Amino acid sequence: MRRYLVTILVITALIVISGLTLGFQNIKLSGFERGSDNPLGLKLGLDLQGGSHLVYQTSLEDALGNQIQPTEAQMDSLRRIIGRRINETGLGDPVIQILGEDRLLVQLPGVSDPARAKTIIGETARLEFKHRQIDVTVPVVLKPSSIKSIHIGEFPETLTDEAGDLQEIIENPLADLPTSSAELEQIISTSTDDTLVTDTVDEANKPESNSPDNSNAQEISFLVIQLDDEAAETLDLVIQRMIESTLAYASGLKSQYTVNRLQVSISGKNEVRTVELPLQLIARVPDTNMFAMALITGIGQPIASSIDKTKELFGPELEFELVEVIGAIDEDVGLTGDDLSRAYAGTQSTTGMPIVNIEFNAQGAKRFGELTRELLNTEDRLAIFLDEEELIAPGVNAVITGGSAYIEGRDFTPDRAKDIAQLLEAGRLPIPIELVQERDVDAILGADSLKKSVIAGSVGLLLVIIFMILYYRIPGLIAAIALILYASFLLTVFKLIPVTLTLSGVAAAILSVGMAVDANILIFERMKDELRSGRTLLTSINVGFNRAWPAIRDGNVSTLITCAILFWFADTLGASIVQGFAATLAIGVLISMFSAIVISKTFLRLVATLSISRKTNWFVPVGKKFLPKSSD
Amino acid sequence: MNIAAKRGWFFLISAILLIPGIVFLIIAPGLKPGIDFTGGSTITVEFADPVDQQSIRASLESLNLSDTTVQNFGDNTFFIRTKELTDVQKDDLLSDLQDQLSPSGYNVLSFDIVSPLVAQETVIASFWALFAASIGIFFYVWWAFRNIPKPFRYGTAAIVALLHDAGVIIGVFAILGVVADVEVNTMFLIALLTVIGYSVNDTIVVFDRVRENIIFAPNRSLEANVNLSIGETIGRSVNTSLTLMLTLLALMLFGGQTLRSFLLVLIIGVLVGTYSSIGIATQIVVAWEQQDFTRIISRITKRKLPASE
Repeated sequence: MRRYLVTILVITALIVISGLTLGFQNIKLSGFERGSDNPLGLKLGLDLQGGSHLVYQTSLEDALGNQIQPTEAQMDSLRRIIGRRINETGLGDPVIQILGEDRLLVQLPGVSDPARAKTIIGETARLEFKHRQIDVTVPVVLKPSSIKSIHIGEFPETLTDEAGDLQEIIENPLADLPTSSAELEQIISTSTDDTLVTDTVDEANKPESNSPDNSNAQEISFLVIQLDDEAAETLDLVIQRMIESTLAYASGLKSQYTVNRLQVSISGKNEVRTVELPLQLIARVPDTNMFAMALITGIGQPIASSIDKTKELFGPELEFELVEVIGAIDEDVGLTGDDLSRAYAGTQSTTGMPIVNIEFNAQGAKRFGELTRELLNTEDRLAIFLDEEELIAPGVNAVITGGSAYIEGRDFTPDRAKDIAQLLEAGRLPIPIELVQERDVDAILGADSLKKSVIAGSVGLLLVIIFMILYYRIPGLIAAIALILYASFLLTVFKLIPVTLTLSGVAAAILSVGMAVDANILIFERMKDELRSGRTLLTSINVGFNRAWPAIRDGNVSTLITCAILFWFADTLGASIVQGFAATLAIGVLISMFSAIVISKTFLRLVATLSISRKTNWFVPVGKKFLPKSSD
Repeated sequence: MNIAAKRGWFFLISAILLIPGIVFLIIAPGLKPGIDFTGGSTITVEFADPVDQQSIRASLESLNLSDTTVQNFGDNTFFIRTKELTDVQKDDLLSDLQDQLSPSGYNVLSFDIVSPLVAQETVIASFWALFAASIGIFFYVWWAFRNIPKPFRYGTAAIVALLHDAGVIIGVFAILGVVADVEVNTMFLIALLTVIGYSVNDTIVVFDRVRENIIFAPNRSLEANVNLSIGETIGRSVNTSLTLMLTLLALMLFGGQTLRSFLLVLIIGVLVGTYSSIGIATQIVVAWEQQDFTRIISRITKRKLPASE
């Protein structure tokens, strides 16, 4: 008994691990994450869940037009750039993998008609360097005659219509403005603070039923102006641009970016005050030519504590001026990926911080030098675009005429620097690719195949178990238990590694189940022989296992050799399906050996210690005459 | 039972199994390679309105896509194979089929494109993989049987049995290709590999008994040892293949259309693989020991010698 104690403990531990792994759909253990939405949280191949499998081949030519192989770094860049493009389209959770030397596999689970993805993937990368002008001020010119009225007050809640009746304004875009200074400050600061913008835009859009009733609540004064149609149109366009830039900013696709603001200067009674307002503090009164602007300073304070005090400050003779502050204008300077000769990640020699090195060719160096001269000592930035999406927009701290520079960033990690360098490389030397294989499987067909495979697998396993128990009796029962454990261990390993389950994997699993059963049958037949020759049950079990072992070992080793060779040869395109088969089969064979040798053996020995072991007949197959061996 | 004495019969049975397939391979177009091996496109499409195979063929011809194959998968689902299509061509083809045959619409279940370049590589890679796997198994068996005389023969016999099984399956599919338009694809290759794995495993189990019996009674004739070993392992062979057949038949009954021809390969493979371990692998070892082959060759050459003079 004690001899098996350790083995039994190990088996119990494995059963518990297996139960836990399969019992929870998703597993998260400090950085170790497994699971999916599929049954048991297994990873399914495209043939079982539907999706698109695309294989691209690079078609790179040298100067003479001969086909050349891309370098490893180029393939890496290609993988990253395509990954980036697919992620931007939001086409699920793609798998992008380099196959062999010049091929790229793109798998799009759940996408059964990848026409859009294919268009995006097939594009040739375009890298552009632009001059980003920051906070460009453009006065909003309004003819004096176009201004119908100016006053300071609260946001208009009523207005007089053409018939002279008072009408209530139902939609008041600025009615829910928070009145506490702290919250106002948050809104004001959206123009410069990266992290807050998304939150507050959302918040400003959310209708708040109970507006905060703080003790430091202050009354907000609005400058309310009424314009003629033409001027209203002009100001509306300014507001539209503010909306666009705020949305672009909130989408998070831009770094180092400021949103458009509107500068409002009010003068009257020798008092001049200027406030800079983000989108959230300006509104056109619906269905009118009236515009309301909250008079709130950069620190979130109203310029005076009440409307009356504000009115008093400026007196009745009000004047105002509006200036549009455009957060960023990207100006083409004719510097593109063609001018870049190299980009690579490195570390800064003195600080050791991760950096991205860039080197331009002669023509690029000249343009880059001019650009840096223009940018130096300004807020302006060098905005780098890949496929019209901003990659990074650093500032410039020296005029660089030698054509080689580096980009540093406070938030740079070595990975981030490498990522940027690879994307720059991808844009510098775009690699043309062509589609060489496509396989689209409809999600319904995939789900159907999965369902049928699961049913068929369960029925098959059940039939085998029934056969084993009916024919081999007690050992058969033990083999059945071992087989169920085998199946759950197999799924556990598939989930933990994780192995992507495909139809070819199902084939491998069938074969390995067959081998697991075969190992048990080999052992039981040998046991039977030993029992026949008159040995005790326990001896028969031990001898049976020892005799069966060489056959099990040699059979399984030859299968493992086949798997290794297939895996190795399959490392090219058409055979990625073969590779999955080989990997699945190898795992299955290893677990089946464990199941037969350790689990079956331990359980059989345990049963041999029970009183049932005296009924030796229950340990030999049905219908076999219990005779001593005839010859040897 | 003296099974080894009947080895001539086994060889005859195998010849009967292999020859029709070989004939079809050589004389008829042979194996019908799928797009995985030739390049091209396939579409599996389910039509909303009742459609028959003939009208699809006619429509495809009217689109100047004459070099096509159409198979009925049942449930108004058809498998169409044609040349490598672009996205535009595919959409045109499907909308034309809709206009002509199924105005209520269609649902594309799967769509595949393989470029001829890739297909060619797949053929080469598959061939080399099979070749290398055979060599690897040969050397392992040779090494594993190093403790008994002439281990080289066991390695060779295992490979011959393996090729025999592969040959039977390829032959069956050559016939099916001609009579039922069944194509071979990567899944066929996987199935073939599975069968090879099973075949070798099964052969090794029988050889293992032979090895044990030779070591136990080295002076007994090989033929007697082989007979004894086959008798001792036949129960296991039957039971193992029976359990596998249970699983495979369950898959055949409940599994999807996608796996059908794949399972057919496995079912034939398990039957042939079990048979070949007894009827081919072990019999070759005996025949080699008895110098059957040299005897036959000399008999043929002796008979032919006078004729040639």
